Amino acid sequence: MRRPVAATLAVLGYLIMIVPILFVVATAFSAGRTLRFPPEGFSLQWFEAAVTYDPFMESLVSSLYLAIGATALALLLGVPATIAIHRGKIPGRGLVEGLFLSPLIVPELVVGLALYQQLMIGFGLDNLTTLLLGHTALLLPYAVRVTGASLALADPAVEEAARGLGASPVRAFLTVTLPLLRPGIFSAALLGLVTSFNNVPLSLLLQDREFRTLPVTMLDYVQQSYNPRIAAMATIILAATVVIAVIAERTVGFAKIFGGINR
Amino acid sequence: MTIAAEFVGVTQRFGDFTAVDGIDLEIPEGKLTTLLGPSGCGKTTSLRMLAGYSLPTAGTIKIHGVDSTTLPPEKRGLGMVFQSYALFPHMTVAQNVAYGLKIRKVGQKEIAARVSETLDLVGLGHLSASKPKKLSGGQQQRVALARAIAIRPRLLLLDEPLSNLDARLRVQMRAEIRRIQSETGLTVVLVTHDQDEALEMSDLMVLMKSGRIMQSGSPREVFANPANRFVADFLGYENFFTDKTGIFRTVRPEHLTLGAGDGERLDATVVSTAYRGVDLLVTLEAVDGAGQTVRLVADVRNGAAVEPGTRTTVTADAAHLVTLAAKE
Repeated sequence: MRRPVAATLAVLGYLIMIVPILFVVATAFSAGRTLRFPPEGFSLQWFEAAVTYDPFMESLVSSLYLAIGATALALLLGVPATIAIHRGKIPGRGLVEGLFLSPLIVPELVVGLALYQQLMIGFGLDNLTTLLLGHTALLLPYAVRVTGASLALADPAVEEAARGLGASPVRAFLTVTLPLLRPGIFSAALLGLVTSFNNVPLSLLLQDREFRTLPVTMLDYVQQSYNPRIAAMATIILAATVVIAVIAERTVGFAKIFGGINR
Repeated sequence: MTIAAEFVGVTQRFGDFTAVDGIDLEIPEGKLTTLLGPSGCGKTTSLRMLAGYSLPTAGTIKIHGVDSTTLPPEKRGLGMVFQSYALFPHMTVAQNVAYGLKIRKVGQKEIAARVSETLDLVGLGHLSASKPKKLSGGQQQRVALARAIAIRPRLLLLDEPLSNLDARLRVQMRAEIRRIQSETGLTVVLVTHDQDEALEMSDLMVLMKSGRIMQSGSPREVFANPANRFVADFLGYENFFTDKTGIFRTVRPEHLTLGAGDGERLDATVVSTAYRGVDLLVTLEAVDGAGQTVRLVADVRNGAAVEPGTRTTVTADAAHLVTLAAKE
């Protein structure tokens, strides 16, 4: 190793990230009744307990529903906004982009409280609608930033070339610009789904008995019962995330997906 | 002479900056016209206005006699080759070339025939199934050319088409574009900052500076008779001086000889020399007819070595001496 300090830090970083996860995974396979490490024996009973536990499964469906809806909405708003920011002649484009990125900075509890006051109390909207709007706002920065990164990489002359060859603005957009944005949109969608699915602060503030997301339900559960069912559920989510990550890496590549955010 | 396109008093301003300043220009049909000048002279802006990518602030652009100033690019029927080539990265070479034909609703068979015919014309028939990023710069350039030609454009516009190629390929492609132009009979407008390229390729050469046309004419006319100091400078005239009768004149380094001869003579002192194998470049200083100290460069072939500090008479060859109308 030519850089011992950097290498040590890297290994340490991986250990800090991975070891706690391994503890959770290990306890999920326990045959005992409590969350304890090392696990007592081996069984899959807690996985069965997790997937047959209605609150988990109902809130899992809610979470997926919310994540898909919010991601679709964020892309529908964010992609045209990105194109306007990068290609249009709008005045104060920095300000507009800043506005779209601001949900990254504003504390989510503040956003949640504001939505609660204005939309639920003020306009009398239901939880689902409010959560959907809140999550959409939360995902807008990803939609704008990640698709913006792939738009910035695309040569603007390509669209002009299409126009010169006879394509109307709409046709040029659909046949040339949109295909070039596809990896960016795919990445933004993936990040959006994961971000929405994992969100706690907004979902916690805007929950009610009928509609509640999986992380909030798990949080409730762990406050009341301390058994490996929660570890099993966490392990299932982890496995699903790994599968998504592998698909993402194979199709687009992580560098491309996450490279867009920090640009 | 038939006129393919015409600029009438065309001006383009971007905020306070005037990129093109009231130019009048006629593009002859079936010929190759180059817009030549340093960066920022307005040549690319002029081309973009002709293509419809940029709307003039004032003036009229006519294509085949029809006012097309505000016509969108897709309605102009022109072929454009961009400096970056702007190939569609998600399509194959053949799909790139077919793009404009599909929009024109040309039949499948006809498209296939024209794509292969056009790719053969640029010598890329064997690469039709490749994606652009697998190709070399020169090949990408040919695809861009084929894509623009395939739609049988009314004019072919080339924006610095050779500037991203290496030196040897650039020289090859000059002849190649010339060949394609004569085989297709296309009217071509080419933008370049390279005077060698313009001299070699043009039928009509248009020199621009600060958004204005400085001079236009055939390469021979312009090269032998630059109208002003800017044009002369740009075309490689290096010796500028006022003669004994007060006329401002210029001569190329290869037409300035050391020693007394037939022409305009000046007393000069050698400042430095550079031996370059085939020739010897001698830099001198002289006081001209207006009493100004001027720097002169003589390109000497088959001459003996000279030492810096040597005082000598230099002669500007009478046959190649150019009188300049304007000092700037």
